[in-house]
Amino acid sequence: MQTSFADLPALHGLILPAVVLFVLTTAVFIWFSVVYIKKDGFGHPDDNDLYIDCAWFCEIGKRPSQQDSVYISPLEDYRKYGITALVADGMGGMEYGGEISEKVADFVESMCPMSFFASEQNADELRRLSNVLYDEYQLHGGSTLAMVHITGNFMNYYSVGDSDIILIRDGSPTILNPRQNYMSILIKSLCRNNKQTQTAYSNPKARSLVDFMGNKNPRVIYTKKPIRIFDGDKIIVSSDGLTDAVSLRNFKHYLKDSASSTALELKHAVAARKRPKQDNYTAIVFTVKRSLL
Amino acid sequence: MIENYILMHKGGQEEYRDSVFVNYSSALTMAILYLPTEAEFSVADEASVQALVQASSKMRFTDLSESIYPILTNLRNYMLIRIDDNTITIERHGKVFAYIVQNGELKMLPNGKTSLEDGDRVICCTAEFKRCLNDIAILSDAVISDSAEEWMDNMVCRISDRNRLSEGNLTAVTMIVRSGD
Repeated sequence: MQTSFADLPALHGLILPAVVLFVLTTAVFIWFSVVYIKKDGFGHPDDNDLYIDCAWFCEIGKRPSQQDSVYISPLEDYRKYGITALVADGMGGMEYGGEISEKVADFVESMCPMSFFASEQNADELRRLSNVLYDEYQLHGGSTLAMVHITGNFMNYYSVGDSDIILIRDGSPTILNPRQNYMSILIKSLCRNNKQTQTAYSNPKARSLVDFMGNKNPRVIYTKKPIRIFDGDKIIVSSDGLTDAVSLRNFKHYLKDSASSTALELKHAVAARKRPKQDNYTAIVFTVKRSLL
Repeated sequence: MIENYILMHKGGQEEYRDSVFVNYSSALTMAILYLPTEAEFSVADEASVQALVQASSKMRFTDLSESIYPILTNLRNYMLIRIDDNTITIERHGKVFAYIVQNGELKMLPNGKTSLEDGDRVICCTAEFKRCLNDIAILSDAVISDSAEEWMDNMVCRISDRNRLSEGNLTAVTMIVRSGD
């Protein structure tokens, strides 16, 4: 049977629905592949199918000098070594806080690339650095340390002092690392005696650090086993200048899709508080996303 | 070997009403009883459960479970645990939960047997304890801790930050599997 010119309009009428159907089918297939097949219930995702978006800020606040230091390992090495990010917060009111936090950042840079599976040895290295700082400064200064090491779908963290490592999952933030201050000791003691803990919070020395970089043999908190991270997670490594100004429960207002937007929102949120004694405030923001490729 | 640490804190209540009974023999057997304020449980029944757990070293888990069930049938919130030969067996009733840290995640333990490996971390706790903690907090405190006691201490600090330990009874057991003796 021959197709006459008269039939062509009818064929044109079929082409458009066919194209639409093809596009829809392709879109559904891609969506299904990304959303379902790569999720846990449908088999474990590949270690390499997450990628990291990173942004940071380091602001002086109302202090006369910047005593926070930051280090982020090269992002281009992420596939090979993962990414290491550090915030060191020099202890305010001490002569060499800023100098020590810089030395901590320099030392971490010299440690990179560090082995993801040697967290105990990495913690030992940091403890040895603290002993060197103790010998050099004799407690005339100190610094906190909050560091994450992310590789594939897993994260290790290291902490000394009271800087924060925050994991935000499903919009809900959780501070991962315990604060090494006097308050935690008071709480433990009260709990042992079956008491409530209100008095720990009213103690004027409660926020004093019991461990810091620059102390002799500090306890370096580190993950003995890595923590799994997922598509959509956000990780924030920050000095307490951020979390003192913006409470954790308000973080959700500043979370955006990209790391840079989130960092910008958080930075503006602290500035908007206009706290007269605003401490230096520093944060490194990571967003974890699943790669489509 | 199972290293464990038990928290039994009265919180803001006048007395501690939950119970934890443990039998440390070749197998570790434990019963955790959760008594919210409205729950009634007689001293005699509590003593019966304690006696059964103490005598449980040569009982099969199912026999222990069947013996305890008639006593606790009205209580509804309890858990039986046995750890033996690198396996943990649990039987959960109501609002007492058990979780295990595996592959960087916190997973709820199902009823029945689960195999354990060196270094595995397990927590059993009441709903009142769990109410103040999310899974990420429990996981993070587990993976940084050198001991079951330290793990518990870190979680207690988090609960304290929320309520100053001023609410219900707090009951939980943290456990870490250690190879060798």
